[in-house]
Amino acid sequence: MSTYAPRHHAPSAFSTPASTTLFRRLTWEGTVPLEIRVDSKELPANSDRGLECYYMQAPRVSYLPLIIPEIKRFLMDVVFDEAGARVIKEEDWWFESEEGSLLKWHWPIGLIYDSHTIASTLRPNTSSIQITPLRLILHLASPPTDKLLLSPSADACKQAFMGQLKEADFIRWGNTKRMTGLRKAEQDGLWEGIREHNFEEYWRVAAKVTPTTTPTRSGSPPPPSSTSMHTRPPSADPGSTAAPDRDGAYSVRSVPVRIYLPDGPVLQDLVPPTLEDGTVHTLAKYLAVHLPLLFPAGKPPLAYALLQGVHAPSDAEMAWLGACMAGADGWVNICVGILRDSHHRF
Amino acid sequence: MQAANDALQVYQKPEPVQGNALCTICPIHAVTACRKVAILFKAIGNAPIMKQNLYKINAQNQFRAVIRFLRKQLGYNPQDALFTYINLSFAPAPDDTVLNLHKSFASDGALIVNYSTTVAWG
Repeated sequence: MSTYAPRHHAPSAFSTPASTTLFRRLTWEGTVPLEIRVDSKELPANSDRGLECYYMQAPRVSYLPLIIPEIKRFLMDVVFDEAGARVIKEEDWWFESEEGSLLKWHWPIGLIYDSHTIASTLRPNTSSIQITPLRLILHLASPPTDKLLLSPSADACKQAFMGQLKEADFIRWGNTKRMTGLRKAEQDGLWEGIREHNFEEYWRVAAKVTPTTTPTRSGSPPPPSSTSMHTRPPSADPGSTAAPDRDGAYSVRSVPVRIYLPDGPVLQDLVPPTLEDGTVHTLAKYLAVHLPLLFPAGKPPLAYALLQGVHAPSDAEMAWLGACMAGADGWVNICVGILRDSHHRF
Repeated sequence: MQAANDALQVYQKPEPVQGNALCTICPIHAVTACRKVAILFKAIGNAPIMKQNLYKINAQNQFRAVIRFLRKQLGYNPQDALFTYINLSFAPAPDDTVLNLHKSFASDGALIVNYSTTVAWG
């Protein structure tokens, strides 16, 4: 398609508002520290014990099946001997947290990290949680398949990822036309962008399904034509400057949002970008309505909201969060942690 | 800290505390007042049609429980291929709850689950 610029020209930097690109870039480049330790009971004979621990910074938007090749390379090179390497079957691998909860193959790594962070706010003496790596135990055998829900293959993870993107598309527009309108090569490009952690490759396609942040309220001037050239196919744009921006963040039916509470449950509801009284929907309003016991109106909150590892300001607008702070699967994941009595964030 | 923990326990409890009390405490849980929600199964392509296709299912179940239920109704073995979709559009994560899906995607009070023996919307 003629609107594609070559990758090295970083097209998004020129065609989308700079602050939007900045936050999308920050979200994309976010990484979390992981400490991966092989369950010592499951190490093959003659493994080099004492080295079975691997440290890495993993992208927040990536998935556990995608970091397995790197871990496997390390184990094969350093820890297992030849006989041990032969008996290892990576389809039997699975991850567990230090506290013994199973880690899901289809959750973004950033979400796994943040949900662990908020769970630890329930436990005493975990003040330094933010700077220590998330400790994972890698099991080499006997996966509890029923509880893991998916096979550990990258392909199964890709299917789940595409499903989440389509669900997010449906939440936004009431149909999945934007996702199904992508050609196969474009859909594959989204996943390849994750797999290779390539911002440009991912956003070249994702810009066609993610809402734009061009202001449309309060009679703002229409966006320059270069904006629409990149953010949606020209054919989808009627070319009328007076028409409301139908791909805009404030035109969606609902923002794809999930709330994660410490140790569950996960809550999901329709999140319109503007409320019935015409005011813009904000994180503070959303939390006050859905979790009034933790975010009581007119009183200091008992909890805080963590988005992409960041303490989110309460006046952040839900539509903006959906366009700039969503994960690569299109979802805004709000992890709610419990505040210690001594400090209040809001 | 104690107040926060008490609040969390309310949100983690699947059942209404007293009658409909939970609806006012946590509107996101409002559907749990009726606790069961309607699911309408619709076959796609060559998949066998169900004689009865409207069921009430506990809203706290994960979607995988719906898949398990559907397999049983169809008499399918675990190795038989079966793909499930919402609103002819997407396959939800197996750990999404029926409650969440129903709130976001139900039409005319029922969550429409399409099923197929081949991949329909990969």
